[in-house]
Amino acid sequence: MKVHYKINGKDYEFDIHPGKVLLDILRENGFTEVKGNCYMGTCGACTVLINGTPKTSCTVLAAQVNGAEITTVKGLGDILNPHPLQKAFVEKGAVQCGYCTPGTILAAYALLKENSNPTDEDIKKAIDGNLCRCTGYVQQVEAIKYAITLLKEGK
Amino acid sequence: MLKLKNVEECFYPETLEEAIAILREKGDKAKVVGGGLHLTVFPNPQVQYFIFLDNLGLNYVREENGTVSIGATVTINNAAKSDLIKGFFNGNLSSALSLIASELLRNQITFGGSVAQREPYSDITTILLALDTEVVYFDGSEHTEKIDEFFETDFRAKLKEAIIKEVRFKKFDSSYKFGMERHVRNATDIALLNMAMLAQIEENKIKDIIVSYGSRPMPAIRFKALEDFLKGKDLNEAVKEVYSFAKENADVKGDIRRDEQYRRELTGVFAKRLLESFGR
Repeated sequence: MKVHYKINGKDYEFDIHPGKVLLDILRENGFTEVKGNCYMGTCGACTVLINGTPKTSCTVLAAQVNGAEITTVKGLGDILNPHPLQKAFVEKGAVQCGYCTPGTILAAYALLKENSNPTDEDIKKAIDGNLCRCTGYVQQVEAIKYAITLLKEGK
Repeated sequence: MLKLKNVEECFYPETLEEAIAILREKGDKAKVVGGGLHLTVFPNPQVQYFIFLDNLGLNYVREENGTVSIGATVTINNAAKSDLIKGFFNGNLSSALSLIASELLRNQITFGGSVAQREPYSDITTILLALDTEVVYFDGSEHTEKIDEFFETDFRAKLKEAIIKEVRFKKFDSSYKFGMERHVRNATDIALLNMAMLAQIEENKIKDIIVSYGSRPMPAIRFKALEDFLKGKDLNEAVKEVYSFAKENADVKGDIRRDEQYRRELTGVFAKRLLESFGR
């Protein structure tokens, strides 16, 4: 069946098997910044924004979100023009192996869209579905707080 | 990773009547999809058709004439973050919902799906039992049943030709208190025992009370013996006595995660903690 998505602001049409999950459709079509891992919704590595809401793309049926706007981490910024969150994660040492990073950044992005002044507890809750084996989460929370500062300064 | 390899066709009905007609036509090969989490995590390779509920307009949290209605496709986060739910029980209901699973899964787990699956570890069903919720389902005509009675029927057989439309509960006034306790190994894990309590406290007496517990490891049920024990008691007296009664009368079992004694102990502790919280 054919599905249509707007991914990072551009329209796409894919011919898919209706039983597939969104993660596989994205990766098969070149969006490899969306990482596959547990396929159970437990690790968060595959997080994308679907109509602005962060979800694990490994548990979302591709056919169910036909017509949706999907944002991957590349939709926030790139190496020449990084989003403050991307900049903050790099500067605060919140990126080690990098595998959880795309998903965590998107979860943080969604939080800051809803709440531009979160507490530490709000931040931890927002990224509680994004597991990280490297950082111990401290640098990630610091990076998100630093990103808030950058956003307020218009950077 | 293609787990649902036999799926041939997807349907996006716009009315409940249309959805039921498709469900009846396709029978056991069709799967009604709310959030879709259960289907993707526990895939059934026999499924050939999906019936997506997204276009049925069941994504509402509203209050009308003293009744709160939550549509079947409302997610945990939709409900937890709604002003209506946040306004109940000093925010305790919203807080309880916000502790379930992870932020990402709270954006996908739906109320309708939780009731339809009635997973043993479901926190939603424990909460809904405590709130004396009604389940509204549609099979060509609309039916309303109390959730505990619904679960006592062969509800899975009913849902082969029906779709859950909403859950609803009374808009409780300030004389009611609500609380939930969960025992988890880490913040986003399934509960290994959960308990929810709704009590009407007047002049420090328990005028009415509903207690539900789940992940026993069996699915959630009401703890009617404990309700009868507590009804009419002075709250302070009840706090002193509840631990022993709850522990001795709990209908719990052991499994590979926690043994029976552990769950029995937890039942007593949770019951006491919840009553204590009502006195604060």
